[in-house]
Amino acid sequence: MTLHPTVLALPVAIPLIFGALGLLFQSVRPTRRVRIQQTFTGIGLGANLVLALIFLVFTLSGGRMAYQMGLWPAPFGISVYLDALTAIMLTMVGLLSVVIFPFALATMDVERARAGFFPLMLFLLMGANGAFITGDLFNLYVFYEVLLMSSFVMLTLGGTPSQINGGIRYVVLNLMGSMMLLLAAGITYGTLGTLNMAHIAVRMGQAPYLVQAVIAGLLLIAFGAKAATFPLFFWLPSSYHTPHPVVTAIFSGVLTKIGMYSLFRTFPLFFPWLLNDWQPMLMTVAGLTMVIGVLGAFAQPTIRRLLSFHIISQIGYMVMGLAVAMTPNEFGVGFGLALAILFLMHNQLVKTALLLGGAAVELEMGTGKLNELGGLVKKMPVQATLFLIAAFSLAGFPPTSGFIGKLGLLEVTFSAGQWVIAAVSVVVSLLTTMSMIRLWQYVFWGKPHRTQPNRSGRAPHNAMLMTTGPVAILVALSLLIGVAAQPALDMVQVAASQAIDRVGYVQVVNPELTATDLQSLQELPAANAWRTAESAGG
Amino acid sequence: MTEIYLRLVDLILTPVIMLIAIMLFLRGHDLPGGGFIAGLVFAAAIELTILARGAEATRERYGPWMTPLIGVGLSLAVIAGLIGVYGGGFFHGMWIEFYVGGDKLKLGTPQLFDLGVMLVVIGMAITYLLRLSEAAEAAARPLPTKEGGQS
Amino acid sequence: MTAFMLALLVGVLFACGAYMIMLRGQIKLVLGLGLITHAVNLALFGTGALKRGAPPIVPEAGATAAMASQFADPLPQALILTAIVISFGVTAFIVVLIYRRDALTGSDLAPGELATVINTADPFAGFDPRATLPEAADDYDILQYELDEVYNRPEAEVVYE
Repeated sequence: MTLHPTVLALPVAIPLIFGALGLLFQSVRPTRRVRIQQTFTGIGLGANLVLALIFLVFTLSGGRMAYQMGLWPAPFGISVYLDALTAIMLTMVGLLSVVIFPFALATMDVERARAGFFPLMLFLLMGANGAFITGDLFNLYVFYEVLLMSSFVMLTLGGTPSQINGGIRYVVLNLMGSMMLLLAAGITYGTLGTLNMAHIAVRMGQAPYLVQAVIAGLLLIAFGAKAATFPLFFWLPSSYHTPHPVVTAIFSGVLTKIGMYSLFRTFPLFFPWLLNDWQPMLMTVAGLTMVIGVLGAFAQPTIRRLLSFHIISQIGYMVMGLAVAMTPNEFGVGFGLALAILFLMHNQLVKTALLLGGAAVELEMGTGKLNELGGLVKKMPVQATLFLIAAFSLAGFPPTSGFIGKLGLLEVTFSAGQWVIAAVSVVVSLLTTMSMIRLWQYVFWGKPHRTQPNRSGRAPHNAMLMTTGPVAILVALSLLIGVAAQPALDMVQVAASQAIDRVGYVQVVNPELTATDLQSLQELPAANAWRTAESAGG
Repeated sequence: MTEIYLRLVDLILTPVIMLIAIMLFLRGHDLPGGGFIAGLVFAAAIELTILARGAEATRERYGPWMTPLIGVGLSLAVIAGLIGVYGGGFFHGMWIEFYVGGDKLKLGTPQLFDLGVMLVVIGMAITYLLRLSEAAEAAARPLPTKEGGQS
Repeated sequence: MTAFMLALLVGVLFACGAYMIMLRGQIKLVLGLGLITHAVNLALFGTGALKRGAPPIVPEAGATAAMASQFADPLPQALILTAIVISFGVTAFIVVLIYRRDALTGSDLAPGELATVINTADPFAGFDPRATLPEAADDYDILQYELDEVYNRPEAEVVYE
């Protein structure tokens, strides 16, 4: 299977075209406008998913390709790069947006739809896709901002006071993260003289350790803030419960995961040795993220606040996978990264399913407060069952995808000799189970609360299929990954092996490099010499 | 809000500033200027109208076109990229050169992209400015008292 | 020396910005964000070769490779321009948000999670808490208040009339 490299422009171009077309009709009569925009969004999301699936098939057969925007040669122009990791992320985000779309159609209220919710979905997708495929550090910053601008508007769409409060916190903390990313790009350009990721990878090895540490630290802060890791997660629980529930579901599937993807992309490419050197710190961050996330979830009185703390908690597992990614173990280097990618996919599916289930409950009952809900298992049996399966998947019960992801991560941390973090992750799994049981008990079990349902008059009564269907699809995919684990594992192993293959990346993006350049990629830099000597001696 | 001198200034100056914006846009590619700056200057012209005539009148005049303008701008930017595909690659710059009298003139896809940027900037900036001015005017008006029933 | 002064300036701007962000007033927040953005832009500016009076505008005829070292590096300036465009958009958005919150609550301060602090245990004496919430007694009530706002929008009609 061969693809012309120009198609690499399409993941950005497709959402942009359809979004722009949607905006063109903004001054049309409102009812008609919403219908037109919905149509464009549907077409755009569908086309994007088809494209992503084509990319996935292409890359899983070993294909990789790069494209130079505007035909400017590699270190000067903006490169765009596609490999299995990129394709997996494009597919997952494309899939999630397609699955959420009918739910949004059924439940989005009129004011938000008229204010342009549906084109915004496409702009969010455009930013996400751009951040996935770009091979240029500054361009990554630009696409992050595109993504964040759309998410700002989405978050505050509707303009209620609580949304504005949450929005301000979200905007300020995310802007600080973006500034760190910009600073990292600036320092990279100042010290290494390039912004092309392949070129950075070539030159990073010769840079002094201080420069490496500064750039890596800034990138860690920037992407950590986007991914909501331990000291930088405060924007998430204070804003995610404010917008329309569907917006929360979209955010949980896309935003934090892009931060994780960027960590997966940049660290193994730029400074894989730092993943080993900084392993204790990354482990600490991972452990604290898990523990604080899950403990925070226990204190929360509403569905969405509880689930947003679980988002944070689950991010810790991915950081854990990243921390052991470059440690040699019995499964080979990079297996930790593969499992982190698998866990990322699992988490996108399950967390979105849970939030959509919670959204259905909230919209049906008009409240998300746990002590005002109860006994919904009779009222919404299908949703209750799906929610239970998704909750068990989040906690890591077989035969769901959570079991595979957590088992793999545990095995790889054990074989890397990291007993403490493995124990912490097991305890956190237990706590997750308890927390999810608590949530399910409050919402679906017990006696119906005296609250009158449908307070807001926005309940999707006649849209059962459109609200349960997406959740069912996501839960089914989670079960599918759990049952057919081997194909999924093969897929993420291809992705991880391509992600840690620095020479391959550089050769694809910048084929004119000399043999000495490539040689320098394979050598470990001096900063890591003590560690290699130690491991050779021991 | 609608003082006569300011309205006079608006009447005379706004078209001039708009022309300056267009001039900045046209000299953009090789000299200082370009789509973003031109868009901001254009928005400044419309802000003068807002100051002179109030947000409401300005919204009646320009408001409905602002979001579609963003759409047009984004479409133009994508079209500029797609024309580049014809020349070999997405966003590949393509130029037509021709002579008017003795002067060489150039038209190209980067200019089309710049035009898109300009329209997006105008649309965004005016949307923000109108929103802010409306809020400011609402804050400047005395608040209606609930008990008294007079406003 | 120039580089040192620039580094010092970046540091001072960062410090001032960080301080202002942590203050309570929301206008100070906007100003602080502006300062931090400027600090980062200046840091970017410093990464290019700092040269006086040598703008990277090359004459169309007779440009040679040797001329490249005479000019300032144009790339950081392009990056700064992009960063300015983006921060312009974000700042405008925050200003609109804050103005809207001011119009809705009649206060420059953050209600919600801060309201308990403001109402019950204010560490700053003489501070005027205009942001009093209806019957906001404990955290749970405030949460309820926020959720009610999402679903019932009681204050949405009060906005500009």
